[in-house]
Amino acid sequence: MSETILKLQNVTMKFGGVVALNDVSFEIKKQEILGLIGPNGAGKTTVFNVITGVYQVTEGDITFEGKSVKGKKRYKITRGGIARTFQNIRLWGDMTALENVITATDTHKKSGLLSGLFGMPVSRREERRDKARAQELLDFIGIGEYADRLAKNLPYGVQRRLEIARALGTEPKLLLLDEPAAGFNPAEKVELAQTIRKIRDAGYTVLLIEHDMSLVMGVSDRVVVVDFGQKIADDLPTKVQNDKRVIEAYLGVPEDAS
Amino acid sequence: MFNLRDWGAGIWERSGRPVRVLIALGAIAIAASLPLLGGTFLKTPIADYGSVLVFPVAIFVIMALGLNIVIGKSGLLDLGYVAFFAIGAYTMGILGTKTGLNSWEILPIGIAMAMFAGLILGVPALRLRGDYLAIITLGFGEIVRITALNLNSIGGANGIVGIPTPPTIFGLEYTFDNHRLYFWTFLIIILLTIWMIRRLSVRRAGRAWESIRQDEDAAELMGVPTFKYKIWAFVLGASVGGAAGVLYASKTLFISPDNFTLQVSILILACVVFGGMGNIWGVILGAVILGYLPDRIRFISDARLLVFGAVLVLMMNLRPDGLLPRKKREKALPEKGQS
Repeated sequence: MSETILKLQNVTMKFGGVVALNDVSFEIKKQEILGLIGPNGAGKTTVFNVITGVYQVTEGDITFEGKSVKGKKRYKITRGGIARTFQNIRLWGDMTALENVITATDTHKKSGLLSGLFGMPVSRREERRDKARAQELLDFIGIGEYADRLAKNLPYGVQRRLEIARALGTEPKLLLLDEPAAGFNPAEKVELAQTIRKIRDAGYTVLLIEHDMSLVMGVSDRVVVVDFGQKIADDLPTKVQNDKRVIEAYLGVPEDAS
Repeated sequence: MFNLRDWGAGIWERSGRPVRVLIALGAIAIAASLPLLGGTFLKTPIADYGSVLVFPVAIFVIMALGLNIVIGKSGLLDLGYVAFFAIGAYTMGILGTKTGLNSWEILPIGIAMAMFAGLILGVPALRLRGDYLAIITLGFGEIVRITALNLNSIGGANGIVGIPTPPTIFGLEYTFDNHRLYFWTFLIIILLTIWMIRRLSVRRAGRAWESIRQDEDAAELMGVPTFKYKIWAFVLGASVGGAAGVLYASKTLFISPDNFTLQVSILILACVVFGGMGNIWGVILGAVILGYLPDRIRFISDARLLVFGAVLVLMMNLRPDGLLPRKKREKALPEKGQS
């Protein structure tokens, strides 16, 4: 449990004059569920974007399993074992749920375009294997029955879960979930919390951005709080809840106290 | 409402292998017998029916299939597709008149040249997206044509004359007016192209293209090497265009830069959009209709572009996905007891 899988070292991300992340450092240990919270605009999604290579950090470094991800192509970072979901759902709507997941499993195929064209045995074998694997993942997330439906026609909650299944399709070691419970009702949130624990128990490490406090506090092993691009807390959920700076960030400071 | 695409797909999905083979053979037989139907209502009033089937119809079908890989499958708007057609045709023209190579030997060379051109255009251009890609490919198409126009060593504005016909194989003589034989040869190329596209569509490459078309950033973040697959789409599309060019040159025996204007790119694009982007059967239908009708109906041949423009505007309003749209239908959910 103690081995570090991902480490952010003094990460600063500037967009022109705007400092989205300012000297943020934290690490995630293997098979941990780490919650990342903060008020709107605090820089949570920016953290995801620098980890997955969408943005290049201005200063600092990010290492995954001891190796820097700086300057790596986005798809190579994913192949290295980091997968994510999107805050605003970005499935491939005109593909079926199963195809969405199979496309993600293609990440680890050896056969390319030409062996597919000529129907090489390696290509056929991989097709069969990945189709089975994709169905397995849909079942694992609990949406197996929707396999043949087009992604865009799925109910909202299923789409959110399909995003998780698709990310798992890339066989990541670290899974980044960007507000997976957005728009969920309380019952769905409870179910999602169970799913997240199940994912961790299956051997994945999870970094979770979420606004729903009861979900984050209930499921996370540790919580990192960011506000205005700075890390203001990094502790156990129970301690973070009582942290003075965190309460200030969320509720503001009483006038007479400042 | 009756939906031709779903009706056809329904029959296909319900059928077992033997029935599918029968359907495929039937379709090939109908296509192959087209040149024999010149005396029927299909007869074209001005141009010779047999030659219309070869050009524009068959050539349009081949090119539309190739362009469909780029635009329909991968969503890359290429407005300079004629460049690959021109490169194939000029390869045939130059090598055919200046060396002893025959058409069959030049065909793979022409395809390779077009693929190489696709690669050198694709590597810089495919870093751009959408409108910017469209403009750069449009420029490329014009550059190729203007280069041919200004290079006197390859005929300049006069083009190349006296391109040899393919040599006799299996006792079949490719004389200038043996249109049927040309048509059947082109039909084989069409079938090979269909086979290639269908094969790729259901495998990794097809899914990669589809994901790129729908959301390129999401594809990249899900581990799809998007740049590589965009290049592949471009190169494969170019190879089909190059093959069409070689065949065209060895059929018409004379080419000049005037054959390779922007108008050709737009016409082929019109075939793809009219028929149904992303659906090979739709694309073929579109190319057959837009290739054949102007020769069948005299009024259209006089105002070809005007009518095409009007048809496209109408289609965009009434049926924006084309005559036979790409797959949108879901498999029926298994009924209880069946699963």
